[in-house]
Amino acid sequence: MFNKLSYLHKILFIIVILLLVAVISLSFGSINLSPLRVMKVIFSQGDTSQSLNVIVKQIRLPRIILSFLVGAGLSIAGVVFQGVIRNPMVDPYIVGISAGAGTGVTLAIVLNLQFSFLFFNTLPLMAFFGSLITVYIVYNLAKTKDKVPVVTFLLAGVAVGFVLNALMSFLMVIGTRDLQKIIYWLLGSLSSSSWTDIKLMLPYFLLGNIIIVFFLKDLNLILLGETSAQHLGVDVEKSKKYLIVGASLVTASVVSVSGSIGFIGLIVPHIARMLVGPDHKKLYPTAAVLGGIFLIISDDLARILLSPMEIPVGIITALTGGPYFIYLLRKTKKEIW
Amino acid sequence: MLKLENIEFSYGDIKILKEIDFHLNKNEFIGIIGPNGSGKSTLLKNISKLLNPDSGYIYLDKNLLNDYSFKELAKKMAVVPQDTKVNFNFSVYDLVMMGRNPYQDRWGRIQKEDKRKVKEAMELTDIVKFKDKSIQNLSGGERQRVIIARAIVQEPELLLLDEPTASLDINYQRNIFDLISDLNEKLDMSVLAVSHDLNLISQYCDRLILLKDGKIHSMGQVDDVITKKNISEVYNTEVDIKFNPFTERPYVIIVPRRKGNSKMINNDFSVHLICGGGTGKNIMNILNDLKVNVTCGVLNRGDSDWEEAKRLNFDIVEIPPFAPIDKKSVAKNEKKIKKADLVVVSGTPFGWGNLDNIKVLNNFKEKEIVFFDDNLDKRDFTDGEFTKILAEIEEKNTVYEVNTDKELCNLLNTKYEEIKYD
Repeated sequence: MFNKLSYLHKILFIIVILLLVAVISLSFGSINLSPLRVMKVIFSQGDTSQSLNVIVKQIRLPRIILSFLVGAGLSIAGVVFQGVIRNPMVDPYIVGISAGAGTGVTLAIVLNLQFSFLFFNTLPLMAFFGSLITVYIVYNLAKTKDKVPVVTFLLAGVAVGFVLNALMSFLMVIGTRDLQKIIYWLLGSLSSSSWTDIKLMLPYFLLGNIIIVFFLKDLNLILLGETSAQHLGVDVEKSKKYLIVGASLVTASVVSVSGSIGFIGLIVPHIARMLVGPDHKKLYPTAAVLGGIFLIISDDLARILLSPMEIPVGIITALTGGPYFIYLLRKTKKEIW
Repeated sequence: MLKLENIEFSYGDIKILKEIDFHLNKNEFIGIIGPNGSGKSTLLKNISKLLNPDSGYIYLDKNLLNDYSFKELAKKMAVVPQDTKVNFNFSVYDLVMMGRNPYQDRWGRIQKEDKRKVKEAMELTDIVKFKDKSIQNLSGGERQRVIIARAIVQEPELLLLDEPTASLDINYQRNIFDLISDLNEKLDMSVLAVSHDLNLISQYCDRLILLKDGKIHSMGQVDDVITKKNISEVYNTEVDIKFNPFTERPYVIIVPRRKGNSKMINNDFSVHLICGGGTGKNIMNILNDLKVNVTCGVLNRGDSDWEEAKRLNFDIVEIPPFAPIDKKSVAKNEKKIKKADLVVVSGTPFGWGNLDNIKVLNNFKEKEIVFFDDNLDKRDFTDGEFTKILAEIEEKNTVYEVNTDKELCNLLNTKYEEIKYD
């Protein structure tokens, strides 16, 4: 039934769902509010109690916005990497980004590094640069002459990932007293979200997205194969480079504030593709909104399930995403795209 | 339109293309043929800028190919690849629309003009009825038409095709080539098509380029390129050329391995072959097919018969290039002849240089000797000496005359049976 709707209707439908989910999520928590009350608090100035104002505007709202950005970012990066590499089994971490970020963070925790840049904290900065440096290394390892063959890129990513994971394990063994902190970060969590986090990641998030949108059309042609794309007038190597840079920026910005939350970047592009087809001009916004919804709901579950304790959201996404992915595999087998 | 000057290309140390030089005129349809590994596809990839030649120049409309951006190039040149499989669920319409990419801006906005061109191309290629189908649900022939439609909307002046009918049924093969021919004639596209199907492409193109080992072996009108000599030289196989009554174009037919070979699977039968200058090639292939033991001699190294015998791994009595036959090799030759059950003499001319190859037969008695092609007096360049020796040989030995390959086969079969049941 849904598939008979036009693309415009589909995306509107999904956005309405997003807004509903957002409002409902704002109502859950240590104090339960009615959705109506939540709307009042957000759109009114002053006449509600101070504490409600803080809970909704300073604690819950940034967390939900951040959840949306992280979910959307991972899904977008997933769409781009799957398209460039022309393999549906790829997620944004395939090029070693999570390992890079993880190593950066582990290093900071174990060595007890404390510094800040402008108003940014140590951990997000270490994660951000850890991931970018890793992508840079992987990209240059894969580069032969003036080309970056997709397979080499993938393999270089996997190899560098392994090395970094080993390094990370080593650091963890040395710094056993910080183990819990590290693991908590690695599992991915949005529990300490604040407006500062959003300010930290947003510039890179937006920059990455602008680059991606600029080359979105080429991605459709690259799906036909790199030679076909070139014959249709695409400067494949250039587009590939920018798309990888854009997607890496988005992923790095996201990982820096949330840790490595798995599975979203792998599954959401699939669901979006089933809804609107392989055209990236439609796929990109659909995957972004869907990814946002997916992570907001997952984060709700992470908050509610064992309340007052919080489960790292990465565990929720893996627990729901994994089985769903297996279901998809069994159901469609060949037609993964 | 397109001009190639001295193109060389290699993958690593292996030279794939050597001294490729040709030009394609406006509105011309050139076919490129050649055996597997002769560099056809590599040549096409060099022309479509997928690969850069190591040296040489490629001009497209007087500008160097490398001076075109990919986008500009896509407006001038469209490529129909060998493998047209698309792994994604794009609709036929969307896929054809992708051909408009070089005319669209960054955001891929579709203009009226784009829609009109796509509609026209889909009508021309007769794919309107699949418009909304997924490309994955089409047959190979239908998909090929979609890809050609996509090439048409690029509005190219030059159309490159790599094995456009490689995996298609015969009705689609015709259909696709008819279509290409229409594009060439009605839409004024120049066409350069690679094909391993000599016969198909020969019926359609204006000129042919025959590649062998990365070099242009021959080039020109179809009749001049598709000859028995060229084809058997390049493909190393025996063919015959007929003419297609509908197009009056040459048509290559394969000559299958000779009948009767099944009887002679044993190699306890030996044949000595006296030949030279390429007259023995056919006979060698017959003997090879029959799997008998073959010895050859005396042959000069570098002689085309020597090359063929070498290729077939025959036992050869050889001497340096252009050297006269010396006594030592005559003796060697005599030994080999002694062992042979049968001696075959090819239709080679005899002069003073190779007369010893015949003279040696005079030393034998009751040997079975087959003379190929009885046009003997025309082959005598020894003022009658050869004919005289021949008469002497005939007196002492059993001599057969054969005129065709088939006669030779029959004779060999009979001889083999005789020996086997003795």
